[in-house]
Amino acid sequence: MDIISQLQEQVNTIAALAFNTIGTLQRDAPPVRLSPNYPEPPPTAASAAEDAANIAEQPQLMSAALVKAAKQFDSLVAALPLAEGGEEAQLKRIAELQAENDAIGQELQKQLEAAEKELKQVQELFSQATDDCLNLKRPD
Amino acid sequence: MATATYPPPPPYYRLYKKYLEDPKSAPEPPPPIEGTYNLFGATYTTDDVLPSLEEQGVRQLYPKGPNVDFKKELRSLNRELLLHILELADILVERPSQYARRVEDISLIFKNLHHLLNSLRPHQARATLIHILELQIHRRKQAVEDIKRRREEAQKLLKEALGTLEGQQ
Repeated sequence: MDIISQLQEQVNTIAALAFNTIGTLQRDAPPVRLSPNYPEPPPTAASAAEDAANIAEQPQLMSAALVKAAKQFDSLVAALPLAEGGEEAQLKRIAELQAENDAIGQELQKQLEAAEKELKQVQELFSQATDDCLNLKRPD
Repeated sequence: MATATYPPPPPYYRLYKKYLEDPKSAPEPPPPIEGTYNLFGATYTTDDVLPSLEEQGVRQLYPKGPNVDFKKELRSLNRELLLHILELADILVERPSQYARRVEDISLIFKNLHHLLNSLRPHQARATLIHILELQIHRRKQAVEDIKRRREEAQKLLKEALGTLEGQQ
């Protein structure tokens, strides 16, 4: 895939990671205690341990993935082959290359015509020589 | 059950009766369309250019101007994006009802990112064209060298054959 498409894919990946991260955190966050009058709901033993573990490690994993994706984007940007600036420089180069291409094309055409002419000459002479051989004429 | 027949052919087939004998007696095909045209009720344009962000009603975050430094702008937009995501997380902790503005900011940054990447495409197209032209020039030069070499070889062979024939005689 070319580099610009890779960059576009990377942007979409970062977007997906971002909304997955925020959405997961928002969905799984434990409720906040609003007032001391209303006690916390009694936690069940198994779910408490597993929830605590998940709640601690999920943000870390997800944010690590997000930062990795952002670093990947930076490295892709660094790999962009933006050699020189300017649309005009590129257009000038295209014009030069077209002129050179035309010149070489003319030369190629000339060589080709000369070669075809020589080929025809050789073929004629050869057929003449074989005719003479077949009719047993003396070579002049 | 109603069946519909096929629509009839367009009526100007009669104009092409004598096309085989006289190709010029029939009308020319219509010229290519320029400008805008309507197709199935929708308007299309033949001028394919990337519409600028203002035309789409989106604020442009990177500086305008003839030559945008793409790498620098892409990198700074990336950093701003990460900052905004962190801001959103903070806002959700402290004042969750004010998420909307932050989400809008993040989507604005994404739109700018994509617009920057899309505006790199013409540059890529020209670079591809340059590469193709260079390849073609190289191949043509090879072909010219090849033909020259073969012609010289053929001349050499003919001279040798001539020499052999004269030697034999």
